[in-house]
Amino acid sequence: MAESSEGEEEGKLTGGNQQLVVDDDLREMGKKAAWSVSSCKPGNGVASLRDDNLDTYWQSDGAQPHLVNIQFQKKVKLQLVVVYVDFKLDESYTPSKVSIRAGDGFHNLKEIKAVELAKPTGWMYISLSGSDPRETFVNTFMLQIAVLSNHLNGRDTHVRQIKVYGPRPNPIPHQPFQFTSTEFITYSTLR
Amino acid sequence: MEAILTDCVRNSLQQLMHRNAIFMCERLCAEFPSEKNMQLLASCYLQNNQAHCAYHILKGTHMPQCRYLFALSCFQMDLMNEAEAALSPNESSTEVPNGAAGHYLLGLVYRYTDRRQSAINHFNQALSLDPLLWAAYEELCILGAAEEATSVFDEGASLCIQKQYMHRGLASQSLHAPTEEHDIASTRILGTEDVSPRKLKHVHGNNLRDINGTTSNQPMNGGPTSLPFYNTPSPMAAQSQFSGVAPPPVCRNAQQNGPSMRTYGADNSPRVAVNSAVAGPRRKFVDEGKLRKVSERLFSDSGQRRSMRLAGESVSTNSNVSLVSGNGTSHSSKYLGASKSSSVASRSLTIRKGQSWASENADEGIHHDAYDDSRLNITSSSLSPSADNRSLEPEGATRSSSAIVLSSSRVIDGASDILGLLRLFGEGFRLSCLCRCQDALDIYVKLPQKHYSTGWVLSQVGKAYFEMVDYLEADRAFSLARIASPYSLEGMDIYSTVLYHLKEDMKLSYLAQELISTDRLAPQSWCAMGNCYSLQKDHETALKNFQRAVQLNSRFAYAHTLCGHEYVALEDFENGIKSYQSALRIDTRHYNAWYGLGMIYLRQEKFEFSEHHFRMAFLINPLSSVIMSYLGTALHALKRNNEALEMMERAVLADKKNPLPLYQKANILVSVGNLDGALAVLEELKEYAPCESSVYALMGSIYKRQNMYDKAMLHFGLALDLKPSATDVAAIKAAIEKLHVPDEIEDSL
Repeated sequence: MAESSEGEEEGKLTGGNQQLVVDDDLREMGKKAAWSVSSCKPGNGVASLRDDNLDTYWQSDGAQPHLVNIQFQKKVKLQLVVVYVDFKLDESYTPSKVSIRAGDGFHNLKEIKAVELAKPTGWMYISLSGSDPRETFVNTFMLQIAVLSNHLNGRDTHVRQIKVYGPRPNPIPHQPFQFTSTEFITYSTLR
Repeated sequence: MEAILTDCVRNSLQQLMHRNAIFMCERLCAEFPSEKNMQLLASCYLQNNQAHCAYHILKGTHMPQCRYLFALSCFQMDLMNEAEAALSPNESSTEVPNGAAGHYLLGLVYRYTDRRQSAINHFNQALSLDPLLWAAYEELCILGAAEEATSVFDEGASLCIQKQYMHRGLASQSLHAPTEEHDIASTRILGTEDVSPRKLKHVHGNNLRDINGTTSNQPMNGGPTSLPFYNTPSPMAAQSQFSGVAPPPVCRNAQQNGPSMRTYGADNSPRVAVNSAVAGPRRKFVDEGKLRKVSERLFSDSGQRRSMRLAGESVSTNSNVSLVSGNGTSHSSKYLGASKSSSVASRSLTIRKGQSWASENADEGIHHDAYDDSRLNITSSSLSPSADNRSLEPEGATRSSSAIVLSSSRVIDGASDILGLLRLFGEGFRLSCLCRCQDALDIYVKLPQKHYSTGWVLSQVGKAYFEMVDYLEADRAFSLARIASPYSLEGMDIYSTVLYHLKEDMKLSYLAQELISTDRLAPQSWCAMGNCYSLQKDHETALKNFQRAVQLNSRFAYAHTLCGHEYVALEDFENGIKSYQSALRIDTRHYNAWYGLGMIYLRQEKFEFSEHHFRMAFLINPLSSVIMSYLGTALHALKRNNEALEMMERAVLADKKNPLPLYQKANILVSVGNLDGALAVLEELKEYAPCESSVYALMGSIYKRQNMYDKAMLHFGLALDLKPSATDVAAIKAAIEKLHVPDEIEDSL
């Protein structure tokens, strides 16, 4: 599947895995955030986005763009956003153009990534890294996932699950670098 | 009818037919309500795991056995106050129902209600009353207050003897014993004896020891009292009350009376040695007494007593032997010879004393050559004479059951064998609880092969290796333990941690599955399962498993600690702190929990707290290089760099295989500005761990500071090759960008 690259450019994403597979050195950061949506149909609210249940979904109920807001208490490093959408099940409710914005709050969000999904059928990985190695992470208070348009020009959208990933912190505090070899790791903690 | 019903109930209980027993017993109680029958019904309920039923029917009863069962049900229902009230109504230890078992239960109650000192006292008392109460010794070790095994398992016999003969005074061990704080714990005669053994063993501050010392001292002061001393129960009682007074005088007397041939007499020195260890002479007496007691008990029908007695016998014999050995080489050898022959020769009561000692001494000698001869000499000499005299006297008095005595020789032998074994086990366990792992391993190796290859010993060996951070050996020991007793879960939680450290996920998941299928209700199985998930970085599931383990047994400290580790991995520090503190509430000497708390505070940058907690962990386990290196890190964070460096040095010395202290040392040197020193250390480290990216990264940053850009570039490149984590990749690349070098460098990244 084609990956989108820099923030301003668009790229089409298609395919989609049924299994969620992420690197070991990433961890899910969503639990520490406050999630909210711009609108929802009763019974299909924001909780369905985070319930680890792919059968339940969030259904929006208003004008586009539909927004999912993820707000953290402190600045966090984020690297990857993964959404579960399925064209086969949701057809015209399936998101097509998705824009990801980041910032300190609603007043200064700036788009950092835009992707176009083409008939996705599973977990879609949207990386937030830039090409520069120094831009591997996005350090931000807030992330906003905006669904700008749907397949077949549907008005409302269904999203079944969203996960947000950032790097794991150094398990050993006060170390400039993390350890990689087994000898170091074995001796680095007591259990 | 009552008798028939009672018999029926007893039979059912013996055959483990609980329902039948309960039904019949309820009829019995309805027909003939009495405390005795209530007690029987309660024991039926307790055997059927219905502690609440037993609790209700026994409320308010007075008979000692009833009070004991009531306390047991309260303990199982977690009602510590009532348990305590039931067991000690009169504040006097002699009133504790059921003797040793009662003391043990009371000790447990005190331990779980955080009254460590009282717990120690009671465990010691339990041990003095019944030297084969291994569980009490184990608890003492866990509390960190156990006396050396040799003193404990010598005294038993003597205690018995004392009881029999009331002359504990013989144990007039030197008064010096109590250099350490004396816990009141077992005042019994053993105390005096313990004193000497203590010296012999050079154990520090075990309560037993102290008590022994005190007790022994007492007798000494008492001076040779004559027979009456021995005959009166009061001295014994007094002794048991932690007043060293009784025993010492007795011992003294013994000694003063001149070297009687009792075993003590044989070697004053050995005796003395015992005393110095204080245990010496006493032991002999104790042993004798024990032997006697054992023999007598043999003929009584109290099952419990019998085993205890037997234990006592062996203990006594062993203790004697050990005492002898301890005492001075010359004396002991002499003594041994004498005792051996004597013991072998005549089992009769008269000679028994001497003999039992002799045999015991012999055994002891074998086991405890390290005893302080000098001490022994002094004390034993004094003691032996008196002891001998004394013993002889009482002997005559107690000699009534000569028949018993004759059979007691067998008991004595058995007792000495058991005591010999228990001594090794006890010493090994005690040392491993004190985290002196290498010593513990040396002791376990001395065990006979058939005992060494049992699951318990092998898992203790594994545990010792684990604490020395030698995970490969631990793995080996534990797998042998699994083969030896695949059904046993003891220590399997530690095994799962070993496998976690070695990153053997296959073996770990296999172990966890096996344990769960063996026993779903054991906390160790769930700990293993949790470790399995944690290894796969699924911390939430791991946490759930550990919480399950906690629910199954809330007194299992390690489960709490593991919960704490998972909370920390999930960055939930509040709950992590709570978990670690629960672990510490159960077992203050659980250094993993102290370490965990130190780590949390280090992360939260509360460096003072962190240093305190690491130091507490260090005090408990002073040989662990990991703890030392973290203590150094905390000191460094507090800007006490000299101390930090010193600690790192110690850590390096403690375990050459641990690369971390060197790395931390380099870190500290960098922060104080000693860049060359840091580079030297890192070079050394490079040799040891050539695949560690952080070493190169740190070197790169040092070279960058020294403006040696080429070298910095080289090292950063090497660091990147070794595939560090994403954050580090970003950091290293950023560092490279910032190097004031022309753009070509950027491309290489």
